[in-house]
Amino acid sequence: MNKINGLFFGVFFLFGISWLGLVAYPYLTFAGLRQSKDDATGALAPQGNPGTATQGARVYAANGCFYCHSQYIRGEDEGNDIARKWGTRRTVPRDYMFDQQVFLGTSRLGADLSNVGVRQTDPQWFYRILYNPHTMSHQVSMPAYRWLFETREIQGQPSADAVKLEGVIAPPSGYEVVPTADGKALVQYLLSLKKNYPLPEAPEATE
Amino acid sequence: MKETAFLQSEPGARVESTSDLSELSISERSIRMPVLFFFGSGVFWLVIASIFYLLSSAQIHVPTAWWTFPGIPWLSFGRSHPVFLNCYVYGWATCSGIGTGIWLLSRFSAPPLRSPWFLIIAGVLWNIGMTTGVLSILAGSTTGRELLEFPPETAFILFLGLAMVSLWAVTIILNRKPGTTYVSQWYLLGAFLWFAWLYATANFALGFAPVPGAAQPAINWWYVGGLVDLWLTPIALATAYYLIPKLVGRPIYSYRLALLGFWGLALFGGWTGMTHLIGGPLPAWMITASIVAKVLMLIPVLAVGANFHLTMKGHFGGLRDNHGLRFIVTGTVIYTAYAFAGSIISTRSIAQFTQFTFVTVIQNQLGLFGFYSMILFGAVYYIVPRLLKREWLFHKLIEAHFWLLVVGLGLLLLDLTIGGLIQGFGLEDPQVPMIAVNDLLEPFLAIQNFTALLLVAANLGFAMAFTLILLISTPARQRRVAIEQSNEASENTEAEVSVA
Repeated sequence: MNKINGLFFGVFFLFGISWLGLVAYPYLTFAGLRQSKDDATGALAPQGNPGTATQGARVYAANGCFYCHSQYIRGEDEGNDIARKWGTRRTVPRDYMFDQQVFLGTSRLGADLSNVGVRQTDPQWFYRILYNPHTMSHQVSMPAYRWLFETREIQGQPSADAVKLEGVIAPPSGYEVVPTADGKALVQYLLSLKKNYPLPEAPEATE
Repeated sequence: MKETAFLQSEPGARVESTSDLSELSISERSIRMPVLFFFGSGVFWLVIASIFYLLSSAQIHVPTAWWTFPGIPWLSFGRSHPVFLNCYVYGWATCSGIGTGIWLLSRFSAPPLRSPWFLIIAGVLWNIGMTTGVLSILAGSTTGRELLEFPPETAFILFLGLAMVSLWAVTIILNRKPGTTYVSQWYLLGAFLWFAWLYATANFALGFAPVPGAAQPAINWWYVGGLVDLWLTPIALATAYYLIPKLVGRPIYSYRLALLGFWGLALFGGWTGMTHLIGGPLPAWMITASIVAKVLMLIPVLAVGANFHLTMKGHFGGLRDNHGLRFIVTGTVIYTAYAFAGSIISTRSIAQFTQFTFVTVIQNQLGLFGFYSMILFGAVYYIVPRLLKREWLFHKLIEAHFWLLVVGLGLLLLDLTIGGLIQGFGLEDPQVPMIAVNDLLEPFLAIQNFTALLLVAANLGFAMAFTLILLISTPARQRRVAIEQSNEASENTEAEVSVA
């Protein structure tokens, strides 16, 4: 019976160490992270997320954006993310402290999105690429997310957030393409992706 | 003879006699339905996974073609890809693994339950969980975490089924014949306990009481690393440790190598997951620990590989005549290659170029499609005729299954390794725009579609063979041959080294 007891003990004990190190440790310590306070201005970083962005994160998950887009910047010694201008510093645990869902991702079939809200500030840019990514290049693997939009008859004035489309994909005259509530939330989420505030543990890269 | 010499030199090793196992025919009857039920479920989910695999690989190549269903949200890549992976891992791999595990464990000791219903209910729960989980992903209701996409309610149903199977497994191991444990039993005990623990922890910490922030990906990838190294891997190794000695009719070469292989896996297996997040927002020691574990994992991998090779030595001729053996031995060879590749691409200097590319994808697929599935296909080919007392109908179909799989996987390996390296060097060169990287990748994605066709054809061939043996009773003359063969096999039961 000793053999089998030793087997049970070993199986539990050896696995338990990894459970303590990689589950219990981050579960307990990351919950205790605090915002960083800038000594000069008193500004807190990072800021929390607006509610629409949290809603948009659900749309991001439902459509599997994270299977092709990552959301983290490696340090200068670990890769060329900063040279590619995807960010100005590496990302650290504190960057994600307010995120209900964290999409680090493991593939870069698409661009890294950690700072996409810094690079692009116009919602129209996001609407156009989500409606028809193939305006950029025919080889883009990204699908068109047409179900995040609806084509409807213009009632009086055209909507402010109607997507500006040209050529064959333009709606017939008298009609407009507008984002649905999900589409708007997703774009709000993407616009909120900015990790450009200073954090003491992640100094800006020096070139 | 060499075998005899080995046995004499190894006082701890004893060879199990035929009579000990022949009395288990009652237990074989009580597990027949559960094993076939889990195998049948596995084959069903393999077919579903294959359809979505084909769809998702076409979708990243030609997202605008009408036959990739652009514009239909529930058939878009963001849902077809996780449906494929979940069906493959939790449907095919896990169901076939549980079926094989039940069969193996019942070989070593009498089942604690005479009634097959306990395990069948577990299987029904698992299938209910799978179905609702897949429908949830298609409907866009997903957690957004890789390989944990199923919503918490669904995960709970799956956990109930898994807990029942694990409880059964632990009970049957405690009810073993006194004084004897087999190498396969170590791995199976570990696998069933680890998987239940992994699944419960990940779904609790991410689903029921979700922790915000960067602890999420840490727990997510701890889980995925464990899922591969502490669930799928030990199931496949347990199968190989039982069936290789049985099919070549000689004991496992070395007990000490087997010990080293098992405890090495138990020690390092829980630590490997963070290699997916090199450079990620986690404390450096967590990632370094994973890289170290992944490299040290080569010790148990080499121990296991050497043990299988030395057991097979001089008996490789058997690969020609025996379908099960051919699949299993190919799987063990791929295991060594796959683990080596995994260690190499986990080192920081190489991960810089491979981390976000198809090189990582193909390394994972080599493990899933090659190592794991090859061994489990072999197990199904070995076990089902013995449970049904029937023969496989078309041996050409099984040959076709094997060669389509080998050729398809070989081409895919070549294709995605080259394509992935080009992608990686492109991504790491800031002068090359993203669109240019994807342009370079295009021909490799086209070839991937072709190899996906081969792999899907292989899986469908297997599904057809399985359906035929379930439906069609073999004519009497062939059946006699089958029984003779199975008697012959049980003569060779002096298979596995047992440890007093």
